[in-house]
Amino acid sequence: MENVIELRELTKTYGTRRGLTGLTLDVVRGEVFGFLGPNGAGKSTTIRLLLDLIRPTAGSATVLGLDPRGEGVELRRRVGYLAGDFVCDGRQNVRSYLRFLAALRGGVPEARIDDLADRLGLDQTAKIKKLSKGNRQKVGLVQAFMHTPEVLILDEPTSGLDPLVQQTFLDMVAEAAAGGQTVFMSSHIMSEVEAVAHRVGIIRDGRLVALDTVANLRTGTVRDVEVTFETSVPATAFADLPGASRLSLDETGTTLSGQVAGSPDALIKALSRYTVTSLRATEPALEELFHSYYEGAEAAPRTESARIA
Amino acid sequence: MSAAVFAKTLSDSRRSLIGWAVGTALVGMVYASTYPSQRQNTESIPEALRESLHVDGTAAGYLQATVFGVIVPLLAMIYGVAMGSRAIASDEESGQLDLLLAHPITRTRFALQRFGALVAGAFGIAALVWLAVLAVRSSAELTSVTPVELLAQCLNLALLAITFGALALGIGAAVGRRAVVLVVSAIAGVLAYTASTFATQIGADWLAYLSPFHYYIGGEPLKNGFQWGDGAVLVIASAVFVVAGVVRFNNRDVNS
Ligand SMILES: Nc1ncnc2c1ncn2[C@@H]1O[C@H](COP(=O)(O)OP(=O)(O)OP(=O)(O)O)[C@@H](O)[C@H]1O
Ligand SMILES: [Mg+2]
Repeated sequence: MENVIELRELTKTYGTRRGLTGLTLDVVRGEVFGFLGPNGAGKSTTIRLLLDLIRPTAGSATVLGLDPRGEGVELRRRVGYLAGDFVCDGRQNVRSYLRFLAALRGGVPEARIDDLADRLGLDQTAKIKKLSKGNRQKVGLVQAFMHTPEVLILDEPTSGLDPLVQQTFLDMVAEAAAGGQTVFMSSHIMSEVEAVAHRVGIIRDGRLVALDTVANLRTGTVRDVEVTFETSVPATAFADLPGASRLSLDETGTTLSGQVAGSPDALIKALSRYTVTSLRATEPALEELFHSYYEGAEAAPRTESARIA
Repeated sequence: MSAAVFAKTLSDSRRSLIGWAVGTALVGMVYASTYPSQRQNTESIPEALRESLHVDGTAAGYLQATVFGVIVPLLAMIYGVAMGSRAIASDEESGQLDLLLAHPITRTRFALQRFGALVAGAFGIAALVWLAVLAVRSSAELTSVTPVELLAQCLNLALLAITFGALALGIGAAVGRRAVVLVVSAIAGVLAYTASTFATQIGADWLAYLSPFHYYIGGEPLKNGFQWGDGAVLVIASAVFVVAGVVRFNNRDVNS
């Protein structure tokens, strides 16, 4: 499979502040890659490095095999970008502004722009300045998608969108991927990315802490389990089950509850020795796995700025 | 080669540009048309006093001291600095530059197209000033100055605006901060004016040669016609400012 984005030991420091530390990552053609991480993790830094808006301190990045610095024009021609805080000139109406951005790309079919705007429910006759935050975000989405780029690089694309439009956006991403486009999108929320992403990378404090397919991540996650037995079972019956260290029996020995990490297979086999009257297991929550990666990161930016101050 | 940025910059600034050009031209026209009454005042001053005060009673001398000496070049310089600071620094501070530079355009070409719009506007203002002064030329008894000599002065006016525009654009490209651009350009403007006006008085003639103002009016185009050498100095200075700024622009991070 061909890599569309390749990051090698990509490092960026802002003066003494940490931006990104040695990020190595590949994104393959046609996939939807979810790039997750808490505030200040380095998501926007990574994305702006890809578009040559900022320059790496060390390491390298390529998009479509092109060097952002040396071959930036060709690279940006083939990429659609939505900034984390999308800002554009507010003095004109949506239609003429989108037309201007299209002209910067050497023209985009008018019908394509109209289609996207209609789909997202964006009124093209409105003045940009007068649009609400979510509607302005739609302008950003239209300009990123309108030239059907080979790669879409989207920084928190759903921020400000209502749930219905979020769904429309996710459909657009899925269609883009089905059509062979590659999507690299950042987000804070696993549930949003989970629905469309094939693979997810989680970064924290400027480095990658997890990278896997959504399916695999799910198998590593934790589910809540509650089992009741007809008669009490020995206290040690489930003591050394793999992945079940957080399970406990109540005093009567008839209810087993707690959490199972990973595959529930060993538990099921162990349960089969007893008579089970009820069983309840939740869907594995990626969100929880995700929180475990987020915890501990919260303090990081603070201590760092305290050190500088 | 797409000139979308150039066209968009001009069309976005068309209202303020037209307003500024019309205003500058009107000011020039009003000042120029008071020449007959000013001349009577000057003639009433005794010859000896007139000479010791360096009062030049000719039409060219009058235009040089008033219309083209203070107010019109000041307005032209303000135009240059305003356009120059908007070219990069303002858009960068508002966050718009991020979006524009994420398009298939090099930073150099972006900056040059913005500069091109500034140059076009400067020539527009100068042309309108020329037409306005021409319009009152005979009624204000300014016929001793030929239209070509007027044109030569207006060309230098455009070049002066461009020089300050280039300075502002260059600083903006280098540092990306509007406040820095405005402060540095204002200081440069004051120094340029003072150096060219008072260099002789303070006995440092060489100082004048550092001032764009000197190359704008020191050669007295209203009496001597086109001053190609002076014009070239302004063009070269502008090029240096723009190139230096763009080189730095190409090597730095765009602020988000
Ligand atoms: N221009 C800058 N100057 C100094 N430090 C910066 C700059 N831009 C980013 N940083 C620092 O780099 C780190 C990463 O920032 P980045 O914007 O990439 O985070 P992020 O993952 O996009 O966060 P968020 O989810 O809040 O958007 C942060 O600690 C931030 O303070
Ligand atoms: Mg961000």
